[in-house]
Amino acid sequence: MSRRSGIVMALVFAFSVVGLDWSLGVAPDPYRSPDPMAYGSKSGASGAICTFAPGAEQ
Amino acid sequence: MVIRTLLITGLLLTLAVSAGVRFSLLLALGLLIGFSLERFGFGFAGPWRRLIRERNAQGFVAQLVAIGLTAVAIQPIIAFAPGTLIGAIAPVSLTMVAAAFVFGLSMQMILGCGSGTLVNAGSGNAIALTALPLFCIGSFLGTLLVPFAIEATPHIPISLTESFGVGGGVTVTLFGLVGVGFLASWYSAGSLWNKKLLIAGVILSALAILHVLVAGQPWGVVYGLGLWVAKAAQGLGWDAASAQFWIHPINAQALQSSILTDTTSLTSLGLIGGAALAAWRDSSDQPFKQPIAAWYFAVAALFGLLLGISSRLAFGCNVGALFSGIASGSLHGWLWLIAGFAGSIVGVKWRDQLWRRASEGLS
Repeated sequence: MSRRSGIVMALVFAFSVVGLDWSLGVAPDPYRSPDPMAYGSKSGASGAICTFAPGAEQ
Repeated sequence: MVIRTLLITGLLLTLAVSAGVRFSLLLALGLLIGFSLERFGFGFAGPWRRLIRERNAQGFVAQLVAIGLTAVAIQPIIAFAPGTLIGAIAPVSLTMVAAAFVFGLSMQMILGCGSGTLVNAGSGNAIALTALPLFCIGSFLGTLLVPFAIEATPHIPISLTESFGVGGGVTVTLFGLVGVGFLASWYSAGSLWNKKLLIAGVILSALAILHVLVAGQPWGVVYGLGLWVAKAAQGLGWDAASAQFWIHPINAQALQSSILTDTTSLTSLGLIGGAALAAWRDSSDQPFKQPIAAWYFAVAALFGLLLGISSRLAFGCNVGALFSGIASGSLHGWLWLIAGFAGSIVGVKWRDQLWRRASEGLS
């Protein structure tokens, strides 16, 4: 087995994540999409971010 | 090459039409970051390992340059767009420091940090492929533990930009980076500069700045991984309302929405895809399995799990906390650097011992 098999596994994993989410009935809605760029628009950051700390003093 | 370019263009156009242009741009940024990291050999765990073992500070200095360039751009941009753009500001606490230590240790055990595990998996590395699913599960478990950590110890967010103003925040950040650079140069046994890695650092910095402009928030990795597992758990009957982390409006909204509209999910998927593109051509000549005993894959899985748990408790990995945290002017990024590096010193030692045993008689 070559390393290419590993790449294929990784890509299958990535597409499975998207496919599973889609199969759970959560499809994106293009009519609710924000502006292309947050900078200079009214639709800013989602706030869903790695440093998010619920309950911490802000 | 032409077929791959057409496929990627088609994928991005499909996402732009089906979800929105912003999300297509975020996936494109993730692909570019993953491609650049793999092609230039730029990372976080590896350079720290080379600094600790070989006194080679070239990769570490390139990281500092990348963070500094990003800081100079994003701290003013974020400060002048309040309510629209946000920084990676997180609290400092005892549990945060302890978790960063564990992350630093774990990333040396699998030679992959937050971004590195995704890039390594995308490039077909067997250990990273073993660790990645556990990394995701760990990230989810971390979200369940974070509220308890916050209740157990004081958590205080400190923003250098808020404390010293924009100019002061950038200045303190740059002085800090130069100070760390001096420490690294004092410890280093050779040249500090590596042209290839510095170019990679500049490219990464440019992509990280673009990420802030497009997403409105700095680059992160781990949030998306935990979200994927939370969604899967919900599909299996888990009640998200039972978890304090997931009832917060921002997270509840993320759970109800497609991952194709989640910032960190898109860039993390892009990292895998970008690394796959970069590694594809030469991958058929390289062996998939490394010459080590099978039990080391169990070790990789365990430390992949710890990588996920610790990154949530530390409010980010080497990307969300270290890179984006320091660049945003968050004090927690600096504490992450110190604790993560201390953990890496232990991790390098443990990894060398275990790797030696795992490869005895097999190579």
